[in-house]
Amino acid sequence: MNLLESVGAGLRDMGSNKGRSVITMIGIVLGVASVVAVLSLMQGGQAQTEAYFEELGGLREIRITNQRTNRIFMTAAERASERLTYRDAQAIRFECPSVSYVDPEISRYLTVSYKDKTFQMRVLGTTADYVFADSMPVAEGRFITDRDLDTYANVIMMGPTYRDDLFGDEDWRGKQVLVEGIPFTVVGIMEKKEFYFRGGGGERNVLEWFNRGHYIPITTMIRRFTVDDQLGGLEISAKTVELVPTLMEETRTVLSRRHGVEDFDLASKSEQVQQRAEQEAFFNIIFWVIAFISLFVGGVVIANIMLSSITERIREIGVRKAIGASSRDVFIEFLVEALVVTSVGGAVGLGVGYGLVKLMETALIMPMAFSPSILVLAFLTSVAVGIIFGMFPALRAARLDPVEALRYQ
Amino acid sequence: MLIAVDGLTRTYDLGEAKVHALRGVDLAVEAGEYLAIMGPSGSGKSTLMHILGCLDTPSTGRYVLGGEEVSSLTGRELAKVRNRRIGFVFQNFNLLPRIDLVANVALPLVYHGSVSKAERLGRAAKQLEELGLGHRLKHRPNELSGGERQRAAIARALINEPSILLADEPTGNLDSKTGREIMDILDGLSAAGKTVCLVTHDANVAEHAGRTVHMQDGAIAREDFS
Repeated sequence: MNLLESVGAGLRDMGSNKGRSVITMIGIVLGVASVVAVLSLMQGGQAQTEAYFEELGGLREIRITNQRTNRIFMTAAERASERLTYRDAQAIRFECPSVSYVDPEISRYLTVSYKDKTFQMRVLGTTADYVFADSMPVAEGRFITDRDLDTYANVIMMGPTYRDDLFGDEDWRGKQVLVEGIPFTVVGIMEKKEFYFRGGGGERNVLEWFNRGHYIPITTMIRRFTVDDQLGGLEISAKTVELVPTLMEETRTVLSRRHGVEDFDLASKSEQVQQRAEQEAFFNIIFWVIAFISLFVGGVVIANIMLSSITERIREIGVRKAIGASSRDVFIEFLVEALVVTSVGGAVGLGVGYGLVKLMETALIMPMAFSPSILVLAFLTSVAVGIIFGMFPALRAARLDPVEALRYQ
Repeated sequence: MLIAVDGLTRTYDLGEAKVHALRGVDLAVEAGEYLAIMGPSGSGKSTLMHILGCLDTPSTGRYVLGGEEVSSLTGRELAKVRNRRIGFVFQNFNLLPRIDLVANVALPLVYHGSVSKAERLGRAAKQLEELGLGHRLKHRPNELSGGERQRAAIARALINEPSILLADEPTGNLDSKTGREIMDILDGLSAAGKTVCLVTHDANVAEHAGRTVHMQDGAIAREDFS
């Protein structure tokens, strides 16, 4: 019997026994639907994480931080190190060929006042590279320039959140604010930065932190408000994503030489994306377990129902063998029958899974991604279940002794 | 010589006890012969028929069918022999209930492998027409009378043009009038040259055959020729 006809016979058989077929398929339908949902959730989470880091400056970035040290057990070399400084940042900029932006930061909470209004605000000393490195677009005016840095200029770039608080309806242009009593000229306003994680976090803007910061040249910050040039943070970015490992090595060399000891940590954004994806994969385990159990139960139900249908059909198997069916023919017929049931169940499961994805997307606000590869993979799972769980009943049918089978009442 | 059976034994091992269903059967059947195997239940006639029909294999002895030693064939080869050289007619018809008559009759051709679907259905329909069931092609077996079902079963047995037709109590489930009709068909097939082997305990059925083999306790007790 050729395969196509076996499939046709299987479909007819399902049609003639609808109740049984529906029960048989439920497990497979749910299992495949869960697989679709899990895969969509995983892809959606991955895509969202990547989008988040892209918003934070992309995957080319490397964050350099001071290593935590225990002061009591510090070695002499560690004591001698000045830790990360603005001079380190400049050394990286000039000595590392793979670097494109260097973004050193020193932040302080400073008193900023305009007319009768006074606020304690986070002020960031930084360089012209900041807007590129952290992909922080300027909304109005201009950002800090290299010239500002060279001249220790008293200029300030303001975050959008405090603009209304300070200036109200007034135009900010040409205005001066007092930072710790020293007049600074406002040169621009940053664009509002927003990112909302779907699901869990709700409608909180996780990047609001950035909207509350103000920026002055790092040289001005060092000269006027700090005692040394130790950095709060240092982010650099490679010219391309591929150059990230190279840049990490170059940076390690330069800083080790300057510090005399490796008292800093390097972390690339792509590593962070990876870590986050791994965390999410762990949380998805619960869905995998559900999918696995559904598929397993579905498979067991199929095996069970096939075994009972074989008992009903023992005589039929005997007759088929008597008129020339080999054990192999019988095996293939029963396996194809299982495959037809699981494939139809799998197809229905794809539909249900798609509905589930849409439901989770709208009702639970989960990040979901839906792609053809998910459909293919989920469908193949149902086929695999058909083969695995159809195998045993089909083997049993094939091994029936024709004489015994014909005698069976 | 179509069938040559030599010292055939068949022993069932039921753990502690051994049942000797056949204890050395010698039998020769010429092509075109009309043979009946008779005997009470337990005489071994069914076991002999199963071995002749290649559904079972002998414990010892030789079975040569159409010049081929079949007692040593594998399961798959035996399936092929059953498919192409043997036609079975059963007491309870054994048509598959969920498919129509044409599909039932065409089923042996399906396992034959190399016949196209159109040809299979065409040949099955023709075979059914020859047996007077041309108006029943699309009926399911449960929509037919017993006589019609047995005629369909004969059509299925003949579809692959087997060298021997094995009929196991072909009239056992039929009333006497319908039984006579079925025997007429078998007589006709024999007259047309087909080798027919009846297995029965009914002397009225056996007397249609030209030669009757009486079985007793797993061996041939005597033979009658009419």
